[in-house]
Amino acid sequence: MGRTSTNAWRVGRDALIATVACSVIGLAFNAIRSDGIPLVASEAYDLFVPCPEPLGEVEGLAVTDPWVQDDRSLRIDARSPEEFAAWHLSGARNVPFDYLEGVPDEVVRQVAASGAVRVVVYGDGGNPDSGRELARELAGRGVRHVFFVQGGAPALRSSGREVPTGGAEEPR
Amino acid sequence: MTAILEWKGHRWIGLLARVYLALVFLVACWHKIRHPDAFAVDVATYQILPLALVNLVAITLPWVELGAGVMLLVGFRARAGALMVTGMMLVFLAALIVALARGLDMSCGCFASQGAAEDPISYRTVLRDLGWLALAVYVLLLDRQPLGLDSWIAGRRRS
Repeated sequence: MGRTSTNAWRVGRDALIATVACSVIGLAFNAIRSDGIPLVASEAYDLFVPCPEPLGEVEGLAVTDPWVQDDRSLRIDARSPEEFAAWHLSGARNVPFDYLEGVPDEVVRQVAASGAVRVVVYGDGGNPDSGRELARELAGRGVRHVFFVQGGAPALRSSGREVPTGGAEEPR
Repeated sequence: MTAILEWKGHRWIGLLARVYLALVFLVACWHKIRHPDAFAVDVATYQILPLALVNLVAITLPWVELGAGVMLLVGFRARAGALMVTGMMLVFLAALIVALARGLDMSCGCFASQGAAEDPISYRTVLRDLGWLALAVYVLLLDRQPLGLDSWIAGRRRS
């Protein structure tokens, strides 16, 4: 028992010595290297860590799906106001999706209280698709019956089934 | 129980575990030593340490990884090296679990600074680290007469 504890003490002592020695070597190396960093950062690091948003699961709709054109659907355009101004589905509302900032609570409340049977979101059709991401965020924040258009605005335009621009609400 | 502890196969299994862990830590420290600025960002991304300690950890931790890796590889104070790895793995695991609990969408920063899209942390990362922790504990507790410099030095002393 005594020998075991002595060995354990030695192992701990050796580990401590090695840790301190390695740390000192690291500090010395950092001091002499040309691209060393200061011991204490003067400014907080600019971190790119998106804040987690509650995300729900949403179903994709083909551009030919009748629900896309159904008047009982609330159509939401997730693209930028400029893209929305250039072209959008008739009656669509512009809710630009931002990957770093969540949708304002007020907008979520308005969508939830719209009285529409379902919410159909379309975006830039990219990878990731802003429409799908916005739909997931809306669903995650309690809006029910949310869908997204597969392929987004480009697919809608190229399908030839687009509703002429007009009758849209003002972008926020 | 004693028979299990005294089993001679531990020497060989311990050797394999040591070399594997050593390679993992030597590979892990390489990028961090070359690019301390990038590793500092990785450390800061966990949002656990105060800003005053971020750079200090980014500068010293890779060298401790290097030291532990070398000790395990050459078998010099191998159990001490295993203890260092055990301590680091416990710290890494705690940081990972805290980051996952916060829902941070980030890279683990374990080997190279990658974006969250290329190397996102997940519970698989936790399982991987648990495996390395288990290996380190194995070497620490059961690799009693490790093959390497320690046994060579002991042999010379006896003769």
